[in-house]
Amino acid sequence: MPSLKDIKTQINSVGSTKKITSAMKMVAASKLRRSQEKAEAARPYSSRLEEMLSSLASSAASGEGIIKLLTGTGSDQNYVVVPVSADRGLCGGFNSSINRETFKLVKSLEGNGKKVQLMAVGKKSRDFFNRVMKHQIIESFVDLNVSSTGYESALNISNKLQELYFDGKFDKCILVFNKFKSAISQEVTQQQLIPLDVSNSEKEEEKENSSNAIYDYEPDEETILKDLLPKNVSIQIFKVLLESDAGEQGARMAAMDNATRNAGEMIDSLTLKYNRTRQAFITKELIEIISGAESI
Amino acid sequence: MATISFDLVSPENLVFNDEVGTIIVPGKDGDLGILPGHSKVMSSLRPGRVMVYSEDKNLIKSFFVSGGFAEINPEKCIVLAESVVEVNSLEKTSIEKEIQELENKEGKESEEQLSVAKAKLEAINVNYYDKI
Repeated sequence: MPSLKDIKTQINSVGSTKKITSAMKMVAASKLRRSQEKAEAARPYSSRLEEMLSSLASSAASGEGIIKLLTGTGSDQNYVVVPVSADRGLCGGFNSSINRETFKLVKSLEGNGKKVQLMAVGKKSRDFFNRVMKHQIIESFVDLNVSSTGYESALNISNKLQELYFDGKFDKCILVFNKFKSAISQEVTQQQLIPLDVSNSEKEEEKENSSNAIYDYEPDEETILKDLLPKNVSIQIFKVLLESDAGEQGARMAAMDNATRNAGEMIDSLTLKYNRTRQAFITKELIEIISGAESI
Repeated sequence: MATISFDLVSPENLVFNDEVGTIIVPGKDGDLGILPGHSKVMSSLRPGRVMVYSEDKNLIKSFFVSGGFAEINPEKCIVLAESVVEVNSLEKTSIEKEIQELENKEGKESEEQLSVAKAKLEAINVNYYDKI
């Protein structure tokens, strides 16, 4: 049976843990608000860009060079998978679900005879894949800190990806990231980045075409498309980074809220145990005294 | 007089959003003056000044953009720019220093940066379009 002092120390240590987790929760909550604002501020740009692209996409039948970002390389043997995780832990299943999903994706692609390479974003996915499939990592990006560095960080990733793509190093690129649904729920999502997936924007395009007259293009459609496509890749990455950042804060907030509550419960049950034990000691001592007095 | 709604969007935020009278954007093939009821045009932009005027032709704001796209239709003009700064907040000395540094460097990237920086300097120095 633990002594009173043991229980007391335990209560104290759980108490200080609770203080830490509740502080972390509050920090995450305020960061969440900021990240969310950032993510929302970036939305108009990416949605406008998508609109422009979808109205242009039809004009590009096939081609060489930059147009390949839209039309693909014509093969689908080599994949690059980009898991986007956080740099820090203590945010529930946020990172592990990304890693698990990516791992599954890689295995299933390999099962179909494809070659898969990884480009890890965030310390947690880099560390994980360094352990399980080290030879497949071609590049990793850590300490991005997207909420303070902004667009630059996305540009780095996108430049690297495009460089590899135009060198013919891969045919398809898939992002795996946590989509920010609400402050307490994130959804692991896969998005095909290269070649651009226009299938879901095609419907909008039809709608637009029917209601709108045709645009004049200056200088011409192809030149615009050539400018637009690389930019779109960077913007998509930027959007994903921001969403993931907001998701991370949300996940951390939820995890820390849980931890705080659990710590509270634990303190309650420990206090109960402490009081019981204290009472048991008193009773025991009383019995000893009484039985001692009786025996005289 | 009618107005046209104008959005200036950068990747990080929505910089400007209001009803205005006239906008001048630096199109790749030459500057475009946009009035309400403009025909539908989609244009890519070169680095330069985006000027915004009120209905009675007074300059409201001028921005420097480092390139991007403009989508124009009769009711709305949207400019997607990669980086946006107000021309007033640009500092001549720091840009001149930047240009000097970039001139010593080689490579495609610094060349691009150089042309942007030169356009920045020009944006401060010129004053045409201040009154239309």
